[in-house]
Amino acid sequence: MLKLWNERLRRHQLNQFKYLRLIFNDNFVLAFIVLIGALGFWYSNLLGTIQHQLVLGKPIVIVLLLLATQVGGIATLLEEPDSTFLLVKEKDFYQYFKAAKNYSSFMPVVTLALVNFLLSAFASRGAGLHILDIVVIAIGLIIFKLGSLNINLMEIYSRAKLGNFNLRLISNVVLLLALIVSTYCFSWTMIIVAVIYYFFLNAQTKPLEMSGQLNWDYAIETENQRMFRIKRFYNLFTDVPGVNSKIKRRKWLDGLYRPIKLESKNTYLFLFARGFVRNNEYIGLFLRLTVIQAIMLALIDNFYISLIVEMLFIYLVGFQLKPYFKEVMQNLMQRLYPISGKTKIADFTKLSTAILSIQWVISALAILYKFGLSVNSLIIIVAGLAVLIFVNYFYMPRQLKKYLD
Amino acid sequence: MTLEVKELTGGYGQVSVLKKETFTVESGQVVGLIGLNGAGKSTTIKHIIGLLTPRGGQILIDGTSLHDDVEKYRKKIAYVPEMPILYPELTLKEHIDLTIMAYDLDHDKTWKNANELLKTFRLDNKLDWFPQNFSKGMKQKVMIVCAFMTDASLFIIDEPFTGLDPLAVNDLLNIVEAKKKAGCSVLMSTHVLATVQNHADKFVLINHGQVRADGSLDQLKAKFNMQADSNLDDIYLKMSNEDL
Repeated sequence: MLKLWNERLRRHQLNQFKYLRLIFNDNFVLAFIVLIGALGFWYSNLLGTIQHQLVLGKPIVIVLLLLATQVGGIATLLEEPDSTFLLVKEKDFYQYFKAAKNYSSFMPVVTLALVNFLLSAFASRGAGLHILDIVVIAIGLIIFKLGSLNINLMEIYSRAKLGNFNLRLISNVVLLLALIVSTYCFSWTMIIVAVIYYFFLNAQTKPLEMSGQLNWDYAIETENQRMFRIKRFYNLFTDVPGVNSKIKRRKWLDGLYRPIKLESKNTYLFLFARGFVRNNEYIGLFLRLTVIQAIMLALIDNFYISLIVEMLFIYLVGFQLKPYFKEVMQNLMQRLYPISGKTKIADFTKLSTAILSIQWVISALAILYKFGLSVNSLIIIVAGLAVLIFVNYFYMPRQLKKYLD
Repeated sequence: MTLEVKELTGGYGQVSVLKKETFTVESGQVVGLIGLNGAGKSTTIKHIIGLLTPRGGQILIDGTSLHDDVEKYRKKIAYVPEMPILYPELTLKEHIDLTIMAYDLDHDKTWKNANELLKTFRLDNKLDWFPQNFSKGMKQKVMIVCAFMTDASLFIIDEPFTGLDPLAVNDLLNIVEAKKKAGCSVLMSTHVLATVQNHADKFVLINHGQVRADGSLDQLKAKFNMQADSNLDDIYLKMSNEDL
């Protein structure tokens, strides 16, 4: 079983490296570095405005730490055929999951350390915590998280219950109380609670080794969803095969397509418009990026950063629409239609123009809110329009051509 | 409508699957394309509908090749693939609308055809469904509806009978018969020999990418020196045994 785990882990890591290499090759990373820089700038600006301890300081720290502790579960690397082919080995899977748990401890530990590190500046300034308290709480949280990974293990065996209560819920309540006491009164509480919690859960997990009745459906479904999230993230940067997104009818949006007349020349616009609205992946991406952009523009006070954010995000949304065109072009039936490639690209450009224009209008409103009617606003808005035109009429047609066959 | 395949050579990449295939499909004819797995049936079909480019030879529909006039050529063909291919984001109704738009068909007239077909295949109450809600057989029926509602004159069907329920197989054969009466041609590849034997006028037997024999059942019997009461199965087995 350990051999199986090691083999799977090796294959999994190889796959991850492949995607990471693709991501870091792209000029796209540059864009994200700028973004992180912008966020960092905003954070340090924010810190500068805090002169003395805030009333809301401690609650904010508690909520953020509580959220950060939820990050990460066990990567089991289970595959669908396992429930058929490896069913006879069910009892031995405990060792496999143990190894999986050890491997999966890395990510949450790093996340917690990083979040605590970044938060420490705010925690000492805005929440009045001593630096030693912050370190003590961070260590406590890490021990707590290592303990709570056992809950994931118990869930795989459908044993995550304490009496009639859901174990995860109880552990979050304990965590919240421990955080409140540690931040307001005595920081060592966190470590003491975490150590007790850790040993308690380890003891609870022991009996699983003998009983070993797996909840296969749950375990495989959870792992599939985890993989899907990872792949969807990679899919933001490069094309990942096998990422199928959900389709929703959204009947209430049917009015959007009404202007598209049922005529031969609109064939592809008919298809693209519906696909974009109903495919969670593309509409979701558009909404996420547009909202983030609008929020950033409404908050950031710096002309240059706002300019970059405006141009970058419009480019990003345009760039991210390309895979959708590719997806449709892979449908065999549409290649038989008596319609030229030129028309297909022209119809797609119509869709992307509509989408980017909506984004541009929303971002323009955010800019006007922050900078008012000024020359600066005008420059940023016009720059956004320039990117929109560039993406739609120069960049896209050239890029889309290669997907036609 | 006449389909002429002349000395067709082609395949995927560098490998030639088809070697100098020649056969014709005349107006009002139903032709069965028959051969073992991997003999080259689907490859032949992909060349005819234009998904693959021939390396040698010619494919003509009424004397026009795909190269001469893409639009004219494509409008004459309706194709039902072996595995249903649908748009995950479109409902059944929208698939029909899209096909009408793509082939520039008359909206009302085509919808009238479509409604009849939908009724035949018991899909008329599922117009607002997405492909993900359909079973394999239902998807196959959607493909059949979208193909047979058009005013194409050559219908190409790849393995139409697998996955369809017996009632639907019967309905499909009736539709094929009606199209034949209207002067259209049908080319279908299949392994269900007993069915195709009773419904096709002509058979093209493909083996190793070549046309081993073609003609009506009686002509084939004569070619293979078979007894008068032998059927398509016997001929098929005899052809397969020639390799051994």
